[in-house]
Amino acid sequence: MAYQDTPLVIGGRTFGSRLMVGTGKYRDNATMVQAIAASGAEVVTVAVRRVSLDRTKDEGILYHLDPQRFFLLANTAGCYNAEDAMRYARLAREAGFNEFVKLEVIGDQETLLPDVAGLLEAARQLAKEGFKVMAYTNEDLITALRLEDAGCVAVMPLASPIGSGLGLLNPYHVRIIKQRLTVPVIVDAGVGTASDACITMEQGVDGILMNTAIAAAQDPVAMGHAMKLAVEAGRAAYLAGRMPRREVAVPSSPTTGMLS
Amino acid sequence: MNAALPRLHAITDDRVAGESWFPARAAQLAQAAGAELAVHLRARVLEGGAFLALARELRAAIASHGSWLVVNDRADVARAAGAQAVVTGRTGLVTEDVRRVAPGLAVGRSVHGAVEARAAADEGADFLVAGAVYETPTHPGEKPSGLAVVRAAAGTGRPVIAIGGVTPARTPEVVAAGAWGVAAIRALWDAPDPAAAARAFLAALPARGTLALQVNGEPREAPAGTTLAGLLAQLGLDPRAVVVEHNRRIVRREGLAEAGLAEGDAVEIVHFVGGG
Repeated sequence: MAYQDTPLVIGGRTFGSRLMVGTGKYRDNATMVQAIAASGAEVVTVAVRRVSLDRTKDEGILYHLDPQRFFLLANTAGCYNAEDAMRYARLAREAGFNEFVKLEVIGDQETLLPDVAGLLEAARQLAKEGFKVMAYTNEDLITALRLEDAGCVAVMPLASPIGSGLGLLNPYHVRIIKQRLTVPVIVDAGVGTASDACITMEQGVDGILMNTAIAAAQDPVAMGHAMKLAVEAGRAAYLAGRMPRREVAVPSSPTTGMLS
Repeated sequence: MNAALPRLHAITDDRVAGESWFPARAAQLAQAAGAELAVHLRARVLEGGAFLALARELRAAIASHGSWLVVNDRADVARAAGAQAVVTGRTGLVTEDVRRVAPGLAVGRSVHGAVEARAAADEGADFLVAGAVYETPTHPGEKPSGLAVVRAAAGTGRPVIAIGGVTPARTPEVVAAGAWGVAAIRALWDAPDPAAAARAFLAALPARGTLALQVNGEPREAPAGTTLAGLLAQLGLDPRAVVVEHNRRIVRREGLAEAGLAEGDAVEIVHFVGGG
């Protein structure tokens, strides 16, 4: 590799890819499996839901994803208060794969923005119970700092609302969160296409989690591949250090030796 | 008690427990009678370590069918082996002491007449094993107590398991005398077809009622005595692929076979699905 990077370590575990992907919204499981393979992601998120008692619906995700190959990160998506989120987290842990949870406490149905009061309450309690909490939150520095204090192993500010594909709306705040926190910062939600992922990684964050950008692309497998390249490119560019911005042109070619 | 007391009790003695076919035959009985079967392990000649090893082997053979493991006398072995109940005799530990050693397990006392039955009920035993009702080859020459011992024990209000020479043909009169269930040694273990013998006993015993449950928010019925493991089997679900919550408490996979269901219980069965 042309550049040196440190490995991504979250909660004492080293991960091989800075791109984490969701498993929702794919048109079929075969496409999901191929798209995830193309993305090179190691961490894949899953949700906890009731089994279908009539057995006519599709089976659980574990029939399609090999838990030996992927790191299953359970989320608490769909939970609107701390108590529900903790209940889902405990059920997820009982599945027996790991003690990590992607904690979401949603505050509003339309924007799916987080309820930070409920999030902090659940994060504190789950951390006490030995969970490794990765908290989905606003791009708000103070909340991010409090989540770190609460014992979260990673803080996951959004780029823009879940499923919106609006890209990184607030690079300044994401950058400042990354600068001020000790735990890894993983941007979660809102990336729409490869350039969004690249710009996000250029802020210096430790990784990105995305779902819809890949699942809802015209060709999810090709987009999975694009995202892998974008995350790598953005990371490399961040490490390389970009040139300073100027508002006037500076020629790239010599100004001397011109013909008279 | 955690779940309804089974009605058919297969009792072992030192001979049965020592036979090489014992665990396999216990599994046959368990398959035939499911949650209606309790296998009592009684092995007076074994030291604690060997007794516990045998109890664990027996439990492994029957637990997946929802059958109970009942350990005689050794409350410590019962607890270590994950048994559902302990039965002690006249000279064994009293109920209070069994509970001290094995909290949460059902306690049965073996009784031989009205006075013992009353005493066992007063000390808080969960069920009584009353006999011998008929003359048996296990105790030759002993005068059986007849149905009177069943009536006396049933008079305490505790569930009574009638023991001693009980056969499927005699089961109706034993039940009519107030027995909740019956116990047998030879009639089950030494039958040419143990599973058929178990079914013959069950046919002569009262059928179980059904429980109304809420499973994943939907009304569902299950036979009384069903455990969570039994419910998953009934729904065709692999316990390794799901997580179960019983009345808002998570039940660990290894505890599913012991978790009995009661009327009105709420069960949630979840798994991982695609999500972001």
